[in-house]
Amino acid sequence: MRRVSVIGIGETKMGKLQLGLPEMISQAGNAAIADAGIEKSMIQAAFVGNFNASFLCNQSHIGPMVSQVLGLGYIPTVRTEGACASGSLALRMGYLSILAGMYDVVLVGGVEKMTHQSTEYVTSAVASAMDYESEAEMGMTFPANFAIMANRYFYEYRNVKEEMGLCAVQAHSNASLNPDAQLPKQVSLEKVLAAAPIAEPLSMYDCSLVSDGAAFVVLAAGDIADAVCKKRVVDIAGSGHAGDVLTLAAKPSITSFPVTQQAAKQAYSQAGLSAQDIHFAEVHDCFTITQIINIEDLGFAEKGRGGDVVLQGETARDGRIPINPSGGLKAKGHPIGATGISQIFEVVTQLRGEADARQLPRADIGLCHNLGGSGGTCVVTILKGR
Amino acid sequence: MKYKIYSYSVLHSSTVDFAEKTPYIVAIVEDETGARQSAFVEGWREGIQIQIGGALIWAGEDEAGRARFALADK
Repeated sequence: MRRVSVIGIGETKMGKLQLGLPEMISQAGNAAIADAGIEKSMIQAAFVGNFNASFLCNQSHIGPMVSQVLGLGYIPTVRTEGACASGSLALRMGYLSILAGMYDVVLVGGVEKMTHQSTEYVTSAVASAMDYESEAEMGMTFPANFAIMANRYFYEYRNVKEEMGLCAVQAHSNASLNPDAQLPKQVSLEKVLAAAPIAEPLSMYDCSLVSDGAAFVVLAAGDIADAVCKKRVVDIAGSGHAGDVLTLAAKPSITSFPVTQQAAKQAYSQAGLSAQDIHFAEVHDCFTITQIINIEDLGFAEKGRGGDVVLQGETARDGRIPINPSGGLKAKGHPIGATGISQIFEVVTQLRGEADARQLPRADIGLCHNLGGSGGTCVVTILKGR
Repeated sequence: MKYKIYSYSVLHSSTVDFAEKTPYIVAIVEDETGARQSAFVEGWREGIQIQIGGALIWAGEDEAGRARFALADK
């Protein structure tokens, strides 16, 4: 199988930005291409993830927008969508295209503009990631979906409200070291646990952010990476992609995600690695309960023990398996279509040793986990520094 | 047919269509065959205790043909 490497990365800061879709694409896309040190003419295709511009900005057809903004000529472009996994689906499709031998160098990215609309409007828009008729029209929201999972988790295992709070505290602590983070401020566990509820048992601090942002990376076949890359070459050692039903009520279990388990299994198997080999991970903490479930589904803890692992400090920066050194969706931000690519940005930055204040001491093998909706789509990527 | 709460949440923030109804409960409702569906739970107000396994009754259909569920004991 061909080797596929990440040769360039770029992203905007995340948050409430005074930038529209084109400006964010320009900043992040040009940064990635410059970081790769290649001519734009070497890019043979572009895959870009975006979830909700159609609803929030009345803007679809993002592929040609990327071509126009970045000046990519007549190369093929496509927008990928899988709710919150839209970005990593762009990565997956770009990766497969190089594996297939169709292209040697592709641009992969994600972008989302969300902060210009009201909370209720954004909540309605995000609800399109669930089954609109049988869930949203019953009064379901995304926080409610995951709150329902949390209450069931408490019932099947144990109450992990405090451990969920610790996930938020850690996210903020990590984000305070990240110049691209939306909320680079520490927060205490007391404050987190005392916050007003959004959908019980989830409060504001249990929910990821509404963010604007864009992130792009350049993928290249391994031999081209060797020739052009001036930094540590990062290879995609394993890639997995799995799907599931759309509605929460149609799932046999709502306290674990088969999509995660299956996508992770594919990635681990391809890489010839197990969960114990992973040095650190960027996982999809759309809500704090999701992080606890993710830790279990990815094999970093046994089923029902995800909270214990957090409580014992194993997922902190100085722990056995640091989770979300970027600050995650909770504190770095969640510009939905860009998130999957911004996770890659963080892992590659860590593997290159360029993470400055937030650099982890052991960073040769990193994992990215990106989940769509209530676990309807999942892409897992394992990156290894050469 | 008997229905019970498989899981639920009390919402304090919602979409454009439901914002004015908060706080309210959505639940995943399970019937005797194990089949589940999402439902807005009618008849709840703050102070009423609710838990997983609690009974719900089918309260007919709304004008759009959607099933409605309500708390069994008020």
